[in-house]
Amino acid sequence: MELDSHSIATTLQVLRDPAGIPSHPIVFQVLMIATWVFHILFVNIALGTAGLSLYAFAKRQTPHWERLSIGMTKAAKVSVSMLIVLGVAPLLFTQVIYDPQWYSSNILSGAWAIGFIFTLILGYSSWFTFYFKNHQGASGTVVWWGIIGLAFFLLDGFIMHALSYQALLPDQWMSWYAPNGKVDMSGTHIHAWQAGRFLFFIAMSVTVLGAFLKAYVNYYRVREDYEADYLTFVNRLGTKIILVGVVAQIVTFTWWLADLPASFHAFSSPLALAIFAILILLCGVSLRQQKVPHVTSYQALAVTVVMAAVIATFRELLRMQYMLPYGYDIETYKVMEDIPSTALFFLTFIGVGGLVGGFFLTAIYKAGRTQGVYEASPTVNKLANSAIGIMIVWVGIFFMVGIFTWVSNTL
Amino acid sequence: MLDTLGLYPTWYVPTIGTAWVMGIIGTIHVLASHTSVGASWLFALIETKSVTENKPELMEYIKKYGVFLLVFSYIIGSITGPGIWYAITVASPRGVGGLIHNFVWVWAAEWVYFTVEVIGVYALVYLIGKIDPRTHLKLTWVFALASWATMLLIVGILSFMMWPGNKSWYDTGSTLDAFFNLNFFAHLGLRTAFMFAIAGAVGGILAATMKDKNVRIEITRFLSKMGLAGVFLGMIMWMWYVQTLPSNAKIIMQTQLPGYIAPTLFAVLGATLVYFSWTAWKPMQLKQGFAIAMTAIIAIAGLWPEERSRESIRKPYVAGQYIYSNQTIARDVPGKQIKSNLPLIAEKGILATHPFVPESLRHVTAANRLQAGEFITKVMCANCHSMGATGLRPMIQKLHGSTDVAQIKAYLSGALYNGLVPYMPRIPLPDKEQELVAEYLASLSQKSSHLQTIALATKGE
Ligand code: HEC
Ligand code: HEM
Repeated sequence: MELDSHSIATTLQVLRDPAGIPSHPIVFQVLMIATWVFHILFVNIALGTAGLSLYAFAKRQTPHWERLSIGMTKAAKVSVSMLIVLGVAPLLFTQVIYDPQWYSSNILSGAWAIGFIFTLILGYSSWFTFYFKNHQGASGTVVWWGIIGLAFFLLDGFIMHALSYQALLPDQWMSWYAPNGKVDMSGTHIHAWQAGRFLFFIAMSVTVLGAFLKAYVNYYRVREDYEADYLTFVNRLGTKIILVGVVAQIVTFTWWLADLPASFHAFSSPLALAIFAILILLCGVSLRQQKVPHVTSYQALAVTVVMAAVIATFRELLRMQYMLPYGYDIETYKVMEDIPSTALFFLTFIGVGGLVGGFFLTAIYKAGRTQGVYEASPTVNKLANSAIGIMIVWVGIFFMVGIFTWVSNTL
Repeated sequence: MLDTLGLYPTWYVPTIGTAWVMGIIGTIHVLASHTSVGASWLFALIETKSVTENKPELMEYIKKYGVFLLVFSYIIGSITGPGIWYAITVASPRGVGGLIHNFVWVWAAEWVYFTVEVIGVYALVYLIGKIDPRTHLKLTWVFALASWATMLLIVGILSFMMWPGNKSWYDTGSTLDAFFNLNFFAHLGLRTAFMFAIAGAVGGILAATMKDKNVRIEITRFLSKMGLAGVFLGMIMWMWYVQTLPSNAKIIMQTQLPGYIAPTLFAVLGATLVYFSWTAWKPMQLKQGFAIAMTAIIAIAGLWPEERSRESIRKPYVAGQYIYSNQTIARDVPGKQIKSNLPLIAEKGILATHPFVPESLRHVTAANRLQAGEFITKVMCANCHSMGATGLRPMIQKLHGSTDVAQIKAYLSGALYNGLVPYMPRIPLPDKEQELVAEYLASLSQKSSHLQTIALATKGE
């Protein structure tokens, strides 16, 4: 039984959490989009480097390819860690402003939502095994660990996609929950997906992989143990991969747009056009760079970051369009201001994220570019001391506020 | 709009129930996350020793444990962390929603730490020997503090799930009042103690493989001392923690937990004490197999019953003693302008107010009575009871295989309607729906074979 849009609107309203939200909804929306940009970029890097490491593994008789395969296996390993932590933030924020949609979608495919967790553990463990075994002269059979790992990552990406997409179709929830009036609480079905949309994100992995390779070259260019010959090989490969990815993205993006409801007028949306424009720009730049394979830079990577940001915004605008018929507007979410906890986040984000994150990243960046032992420069040393300082201050304030609150409420 | 309740669809898992799905993921996560926080402190302490006493060979151990941790804790821990959200989402969407909406900024702050922690663990492991030792030591200390901060931030949320412990939060709705609740500090102490113990046990798995004999002895002794300190601190904190529990939790602890739980936990505690004392005394006798076995015992015989109990004693609530685990809001919370769902349920019932009732069940007829009863029962009870004869608090057993509709209805209209059972939600169904539920529940026992029913009924609980 299908529901009319009026009762869907009511349902979405009542499913919102009665506690309301502690800050203005736009704050959460912006954070959700911004953090998702980094999630999807690391998804792309992970899928891209994982795919390439398997491809390169097949060609490992050539030393360059073997080296690349090993390097990419490691890159994929780290990227999966990053995509997971960076997925947590948008997962948090989407639950704040789109809880009715997200929870309904998850419950209706409950077995898949839980399966996602276990398959990701299996896939990641399998990838780690591949990483430990993929060294010089590795035997051909170890590649199966990698294949299984990547297959699970792709499956998990597909589950993510289906959960996101199902959340946009509240008019169909009831027919999924009770097909022909018979309630099915098993959660064993994936109910809806959109091939163009999913494949677009896969195609994007190809482009981002290319850009990542070019950045990799630029980063290691200063290390003597990375010969120019190898780096030029990788740089040239990167450019070629970008070109392939851009074409695949243009095709799949067109497919995605064509699948959207006509009322969205997707092909004339400024953001969709901007995405096409960025893709064409990237294509042009890469064609030019093909002629100078020894010139390296972070340029392409920077362009893909911008591209991801535009895509993330476009994706959110789509969601708002999907919700329009049901009058679901995040701006009408009940706000119950909570200043102390809001301050907790922003101060932690700036102070701890900036100093501690900054210290860790700087140490990794500098040490990675140094052959032998890196001696901290006075600036890095100062950064290290400030990181310790901020942690002590943070813990101190936490306990002071905590004890004060506890004592005044308890005694 | 006023006549619709905020109830989500239900995900029904046969036999084990969604509660076990949560329990399994939760246990794995607790093991992985506490090990990693505890290990970060171990690293900081050992590395301090290494730098101040000029014993670079100790770093070899940190490197080994660190790589192990990357695989064991960070793969599993970082996936099962969000995994817990997924599990509560599909088991108790109102519960997770309530926590998210009260604590989103706390969780966001934790996420900042979580992100720097993941970067930090890679830095810590791969920069050993690649940056100068003093800078590395600072890195390790920052890492340890940041790891502990994730614990500081999550414990307030977990302990709010038990209860706020006083009435301020209900009036103010302030996150601080919810977070620094009555059992916060005891709970924090308990978890901090546990993290030292578990990191000590897991650390043995690596210590036993150290080639250099002196290093092996020194590290093993250190682990033993840390483990013992953790266990003793844990015992003290446990006594405090129990004092801070609400009365429903104390009743469940005394009357409802399976009989094996307390003796098992004591046995694990004893085994842990013996183990750490032994390894302190005879460090070279610690073999890898022992350490693996000890870790497995703590996880399976210690953590699993503990996690399940913690969840059981919170019943009937999932969070803050205002959200029942069957999705209904149990009381008003003026501080958040939250209204109880119970008056509406009592007035109109579930079929008329649940947004996900199929049209065919909105009007009860002779033909669909049983289906309607099944729907209401699964929505209201399945979160805590399996509908079969086995599994999680199986309904057939709880009703002693009764097929007497009037008798079951009497229970629904008495104890459940009025909320007289401390560990069950108040479920004030109107008369018509009590009848439907009772008929469905009676049919469960009719279905299961006659003999089996008698066997269950005579076996009682
Ligand atoms: C919040 C969880 C929860 C929900 C929801 C719940 N119960 Fe229970 N129920 C319990 C617990 C806990 C016990 C204690 C039994 C045990 O663990 O041995 C219990 C026990 C029972 C018993 C045994 C009698 C007793 O008092 O110990 C019956 C009968 C019962 N429940 C029926 C129901 C019915 C019918 C519903 C739905 C209308 C329901 N319960 C919903 C948690 C719940
Ligand atoms: C290998 C693992 C993963 C892959 C390949 C992956 C891939 C993707 C893709 C392709 C999307 C976009 C879907 C769409 O819009 O159609 C997406 C969205 C998302 N992912 Fe992931 N993801 C993975 C793991 C994770 C994890 C572990 C988390 C959480 C911790 C997460 C959180 C999210 C969130 C919150 C969204 C947005 C949902 C929404 O806004 O509706 N992802 N992911």
